[in-house]
Amino acid sequence: MEGYIGKILRVNLTDGEFAVEDIDPDLIRQYVGGRGLGTKILYDEIDPAIDPLSPENKLIFLNGPLTGTGAPAGSRYMVITKAPLTNTIACSNCGGSFGPELKQAGYDGIIFEGCSEEPVSLWINNDEVEIRSAIDLWGKTTHETDDLIKAEIEDKFVARDTQIACIGPAGENMSKLACIISNKNRAAGRTGVGAVMGSKKLKAIVVRGTKGIRLADGKAFNTAIKSAMDKLNAGPVTSEALPAFGTPVLVNIVNECNILPTYNWQSSSYENAGKISGETMAETIVTRHKGCFACSIACAKCTEIEDPEFKGKGEGPEFENVILMGSSCGIDNLGAIAKASYLCNELGMDTISVGGTIATAMELFEKGYITEKDAGMKLNFGNAQALVAMTEKMGRGEGFGAVMADGGARLAEKFGHPELFMGVKKMEAPAYDPRGVQGMGLQYATSNRGACHVRGYTMANEILGVHEKVDPLITDGKAALVITFQNLTAIIDSAGLCLFVALCPGFLYEEVQGLLNGATGFNYTVDELVQAGDRIWNLERLFNQKAGFTKEDDTLPKRLLEVPAGPGNKVCELDKMLPEYYKLRGWDDGFPGKEKLAELGLE
Amino acid sequence: MDKVRIKIDHNKCTGCRHCETACSSNHYENMVNPALSRIRVYIDEEANQFFPVIAGPFTEAECTCKYDVIIDGKEYDECSVCRASCPRRTWFREPGTGVALKCDLCGDPADPHCVQICNHGALALVEI
Repeated sequence: MEGYIGKILRVNLTDGEFAVEDIDPDLIRQYVGGRGLGTKILYDEIDPAIDPLSPENKLIFLNGPLTGTGAPAGSRYMVITKAPLTNTIACSNCGGSFGPELKQAGYDGIIFEGCSEEPVSLWINNDEVEIRSAIDLWGKTTHETDDLIKAEIEDKFVARDTQIACIGPAGENMSKLACIISNKNRAAGRTGVGAVMGSKKLKAIVVRGTKGIRLADGKAFNTAIKSAMDKLNAGPVTSEALPAFGTPVLVNIVNECNILPTYNWQSSSYENAGKISGETMAETIVTRHKGCFACSIACAKCTEIEDPEFKGKGEGPEFENVILMGSSCGIDNLGAIAKASYLCNELGMDTISVGGTIATAMELFEKGYITEKDAGMKLNFGNAQALVAMTEKMGRGEGFGAVMADGGARLAEKFGHPELFMGVKKMEAPAYDPRGVQGMGLQYATSNRGACHVRGYTMANEILGVHEKVDPLITDGKAALVITFQNLTAIIDSAGLCLFVALCPGFLYEEVQGLLNGATGFNYTVDELVQAGDRIWNLERLFNQKAGFTKEDDTLPKRLLEVPAGPGNKVCELDKMLPEYYKLRGWDDGFPGKEKLAELGLE
Repeated sequence: MDKVRIKIDHNKCTGCRHCETACSSNHYENMVNPALSRIRVYIDEEANQFFPVIAGPFTEAECTCKYDVIIDGKEYDECSVCRASCPRRTWFREPGTGVALKCDLCGDPADPHCVQICNHGALALVEI
C-alpha cells in the first residue's frame, strides 16, 4: 500500500499476545483512515453499550494516510475508543512526532484489547514488539515517564529518535478528564481517553521506526504539498496569526465579539482579557515557536513563567484553556493559568475540561452549594492559587480533587445543581458562547463527542470569515453550515491532517484530495470524499445510538437556551436550527434511517 | 556546486522536521523516511532548542578527542550537532546496511529540497 502501510498491530493486554494484521484496502478507501477507519473497527468489534473502563473496551491508536508523509500539518494520530467522560464514541487527536514514528515502524496503528494485571508499556522497534513491565513508571508524571524511558535506552542517539505516548497519574487514577500525552506537551486531550489507557494498565507506548512510508506518486504528491503550502502561506490565520501568537490570538477577537465565556458563562466578555491575550503572552512568556511534525504553521508556543509563585516552563496555554482556566474562572493571572496548564500536561489531563470543571466548582462555591469544608479550600472566582492547587489535586486524585476529577457534569449533579455544568453530553464546552455565535451552539448540541469546537468549527465563517463571512447572530443557514464543517472535519481528521488547515481560505476538499491522491493513489473524487465525511459522521452517530443516546441528548445547558447574553442579547436558538439539521442530515427522528444508511453503505 | 552553501539559523527552526521528509522523498523515489534523510533536526525538548544538522563526510571511526559545546548556557555533547556519518550515531547512515549518506545539495545546480520546504526561515541557500 501507499500512504497508508496497510498493517495494524493488535495487542491483547490480558494475555500479552500480539499480532500484525492487514487492513482491508476497501475499508481504508471508504473510511479514509484514522478517525473514520478507527470508528469502523471499534463499531464492528465492541458493543457500544459497554462500560468504557471495562476490559471489553478497546483502545485504538490510528494514523491517517497523510500522517508522517510530509503533507503540511500531517502529524496527527487519533485515539479511538468509547469515551469515559461522555459515554459516546471518542476520537481524540494529537500532533507531535509519535504518529509519524509509528508509521515509520511499519504500522498504521495499534488496537489494544483486554487489560493487563500489572502496569506495562509497549515497546516497538520496527518489527520487534515487546510488552515490558512499567511498575517503576507507575505514578510518574508524563515528563518523568518520557525522561525515564529515554534514559533506559542504551544508545542516547536512538533514545532521541524514539517517540513516546503515555499517561500521567490522572490516567492511572482513571480520571474521566485524563488525556494521553506525546512529546511531553502534545495531547490527545478530550473525552477521557487517558482513563481507558489507565484502565488497561498501559502506561506508555514507545516507538522507534526506520522503515519508510511509500508514496503512490511522489511527484504528484510534491505538487500537492506545494499547492497546500502556498494556500497556508497566503491565509492570514495560518501564515500570520497562529505563527506569531498561537491559538491565544483568539482571546482579544472573541472578547471583542462578546462571546468570551466569563465567570462560568455568566457573562460573555471579560474586562481583563487583555492580560491573558495571545499578544500579552508573546510579549511576556513565549520563549520559542514550535511546530508539530512537518507543520508549516508552527502554532505551538514554548513558554516560561518566572513569577516564583507559579514558576515553571512548558508549552501553552492554548486559547481554550486560557479562557476556561482564565476568564471563566475570573482569573487574569497569566502565570497561574500557565502553571495550571503545565500541571495538566505533566499529570495528563485535558486543560479545557479541567478549566471548565473548576469554573463550575467556583460558581457552586460562590452560590454556597459547595463549602470551604467540602473543597478543602476557598474556591471563589478569581482565586488564582486555588486554580493551581485544585488542578494538582485533580491530577493526583487527592481530597476534593478526586471528586472533581470526573468532570463538571458529575460534580454539579452531586451537589444538586446540574444546571451549573456548562457542557453537552457531560463534556465541558470550549470557549465560544453560542448565544453570540449560533452555529457553534448547534455544533455543540449535535457533536458526536459532546460540546466540542473541533468537530465543526463554524467560527471559521461566523466570526473569522475564513471561507465566507456569515452573520453569527442569525440561525438561517446554520444547519447546512454545521453539516458542511462537520463532514469536512471528519475527512481532515481521518486523513491525518491538523484541523488548522481549514482556517485557511480555500483549504477545502480539493486540497485534501490532491494530497490524498498523491500519497495513496486512490484517485478519490471530491464527491467521494464528501460522502466519506458523511459516512463517518453517520457511523459515529450510530455508535452513540447503540450506546443509548437519544435526540433529547442533543441539547445545551439551560443558561445558553434561556438567559440572553452576548452581542445580540439573545439566547442560543437551538430549537430553530435542530429540526432543519436533522432534515438536512436525512435523519428520521434524530438518527439515520434505512434509506440514509443504504445511501452510505452502512446497512 | 561550490558556489553556494546552506546557511542554518537554528534560532528560527521550529523543530518540525519538514526538511527531513523533503530530503528523503527527493533522494528516494516515492518514499518518505527521515532515517534516510541527509538533514536531521536535533530536538532538545527540555531546553526547547532545535538544531538542524546537515550530513557531512563519512568517517570510519568515532573521534578519539571530543569537546563539549555550550549553546545558550546549556552544555551539549559535540556529537549532538556533528555532521559526520559516523559509527557512533544512527544518523546519516542507511538503516540496516550502514551505508553513509551525504548531502549533495540535491544535485548540480544546487536545489536543496530542505531549503525549499523550510517555512520558518531556518534554512537558506546563499552564494559564497
